[in-house]
Amino acid sequence: MKNILEVKNLQKSYSDFVLGPISTHFPGGVIIGLIGENGAGKTTFIKSLLGIIQSEGSIQIFGRDMNEEAREIKEDIGVVLDNSFFPEVMTANDIHKIMKNLYKNWDPGLFFSYLDKFSLPRNKAIKTLSKGMRKKLEIATSLAHHPKFLILDEPTSGLDPIVRKEVLDLFLDFIQDEEHTILLSTHITSDLEHIADYILFLDKGHIVLEETRDDIMDNYGILKCGIEEFSSIKKEDVIRFLKNKYGYEILVKNSQVLKKKYPKMILDKITLEELMVLLVKGCVL
Amino acid sequence: MKGLILKDFLLIKGNARHILLFLVAFGLIALQGNDFLYFVPAFISMMMFMTTFSYDEYNKWDAYAVTLSLEKKDVVLSKYVGSILLLIVALLGTFLIAFLVGMVNQNFDFEKTLFLLLGCGGSILFIQAILYPLFIKFGVEKGRIGLFVGIFLGSFFIGFVLQNVSLSIPESVVVFLKQYLPWLLGIGLWIVLILSYEIAKRIYLKKEF
Repeated sequence: MKNILEVKNLQKSYSDFVLGPISTHFPGGVIIGLIGENGAGKTTFIKSLLGIIQSEGSIQIFGRDMNEEAREIKEDIGVVLDNSFFPEVMTANDIHKIMKNLYKNWDPGLFFSYLDKFSLPRNKAIKTLSKGMRKKLEIATSLAHHPKFLILDEPTSGLDPIVRKEVLDLFLDFIQDEEHTILLSTHITSDLEHIADYILFLDKGHIVLEETRDDIMDNYGILKCGIEEFSSIKKEDVIRFLKNKYGYEILVKNSQVLKKKYPKMILDKITLEELMVLLVKGCVL
Repeated sequence: MKGLILKDFLLIKGNARHILLFLVAFGLIALQGNDFLYFVPAFISMMMFMTTFSYDEYNKWDAYAVTLSLEKKDVVLSKYVGSILLLIVALLGTFLIAFLVGMVNQNFDFEKTLFLLLGCGGSILFIQAILYPLFIKFGVEKGRIGLFVGIFLGSFFIGFVLQNVSLSIPESVVVFLKQYLPWLLGIGLWIVLILSYEIAKRIYLKKEF
């Protein structure tokens, strides 16, 4: 399948932080979950992709170079950023008037149908909207020009569970079209367990894990054991481990094989959150 | 770019009632016949357009803007085009008021009004040409401070030169200037505007949000 996103040696350096070099690629028609703790480089990665900040390396979206064809590429991208949008004295109607002059494919019917679906007012200033409503307006705006690729930085942060569910359902609707792709960064890893196809995990500016969600859920696991049993585990089976007052939690791969290898130990399925904690905070044997 | 210009005008529209009220008050005061007042609407247009920079900065608009289907340089160009359009509206409005006041007082002087308004417009454009690269580089607040510091240092320098250097301008130059000064100022202003836009554009293209 053709890659929708291809990044080669992407690097961005600050005095106190370096992102990359990152090289990765993803096919179209999937949801890519970008995870990592605060300051891991998720937003820097997204900003680099979109040209909000300047970085080294090559970025291709839809097989086209972002340095050369940014405007044409952006025609087919919908974006939600964590903390920037239209000036908050503007209304949804104002946004419509502006966007129809910026996008060839701006669809007023679709935009207003999203407003109605989310019960968003057309003539109220953004500043009067709740955080959830504002986020829904940002998402409606990002979808109304029929983009093929959605790039979303923390679109569900700060939303209550009901609104989050609505938003995630909207993403699932969007992805029903096989040409559509979503890159979604979030702290709320449980969201991704339901919808993501790929997980891209960043830590300290580097990719520490890049696999399909199914592979992660099927292959990784947490082996739980006491101090004595821990010493019997072979070094090559331990990816990371954490010691707590009840014993050890060990991140392992090939969990089905290890289940047979260590039959007396408890082997639990892993959540993305546990995986994140163990990979970031866990020790190497 | 049309969408970007529209965005700034929609931002300004929020103050429309105040502006209308102001124009009525302005028209009434202008009836007294003070020429200085003709500078005011153009000045207000400049101040109003400056608020769009503040709104953009406060809402981190630029980070979002550069993700939209547009060229980065369009964001800068739209500021120049938008403020010139608003200035033209202000000058036309002032001309209309001046005409009406002139009709009421039966002393309308077309040539004088035209020169006054062109002078006002030129001065405002010059200030904007200085301000916009500063706003884009340093932000609105620091840009304003930079302007005041610039005016202070510039005035100090000119005052120093005038006091300490004896300038003798040949008669032929004075005659030439009397004849062509408006044209020279117009061309000079155009060059300053283009330079200002090019500088602002370069700053913006390198800027990160």
